[in-house]
Amino acid sequence: MESRRDPLTAADDARRRLTAGLRLPTGFSPALATGVAVQVGAAAYGIAAQTATGVAVALAGVAVFLGVAALLLHRFSRINGVRVDGLASQVVLAAGARASVAYLGALAVGIVAAFGSRWWLVAVAAVAAGVGCALGVRRWWHDYRHDPAAHARGASPRVLAVLAVVACLGCAALLVLG
Amino acid sequence: MAGLDPLIHAPTRLQLVTTLSAVSEAEFATVRAALDVSDSVLSKHVSALVEAGYLHSRKGVHAGRRTTWIGLTPAGRKALHEHVAALRRVIDAVE
Repeated sequence: MESRRDPLTAADDARRRLTAGLRLPTGFSPALATGVAVQVGAAAYGIAAQTATGVAVALAGVAVFLGVAALLLHRFSRINGVRVDGLASQVVLAAGARASVAYLGALAVGIVAAFGSRWWLVAVAAVAAGVGCALGVRRWWHDYRHDPAAHARGASPRVLAVLAVVACLGCAALLVLG
Repeated sequence: MAGLDPLIHAPTRLQLVTTLSAVSEAEFATVRAALDVSDSVLSKHVSALVEAGYLHSRKGVHAGRRTTWIGLTPAGRKALHEHVAALRRVIDAVE
């Protein structure tokens, strides 16, 4: 019976050989958490400040986050010899349900805290967002290792780049018009 | 046999498209190592599947050297899905 499954088994084995060797770069989670925390803290400050300086700080936060994300994804691709759009979506868009809730919840708390000048709470919210997103990516990575074909797909780099530009322009427009 | 795709029925080609289903793109040498085949064998299969529209390939850089990146197209992913389903039906019928 087993020999009849050989073509599929051999194919699964080849896929397993590839995915078993995949590794997240060293320091992936702390770096991602830091990038998200900086972005959330900067966004909270910028939105609450409602000044040109605030816009600049918020956009700088986005730039830092995108720089960290791009660096992490480049390192992943460099050490593994593969590109996985699902991972890119998790990192850039916090695409998992838990990561999204953690990010949006922490951002909301951070903004409210910034309007009240409670900067310690802004810092706590920013760290919570970073940790939540990093844990979300870890969770996705675990699921991906378990069933790579089901989790490999995601937004392409081109789509992510367009979304990043739209997010920056939207952020700037909101802050300027507000 | 209905549903079986002759383009990916050969064991090495089935391994190639199955392996690529786990990623969006993979560098040529990485795939070669996973499949344990020679450059020329892999190159021949990649060319055939690119021509069939099942794979896409592009020139790029990896670890400072020029290389080829390959990945499944939506048509290739669909073909793999249908071929594996057909193969399982055949196996179940035999058993």
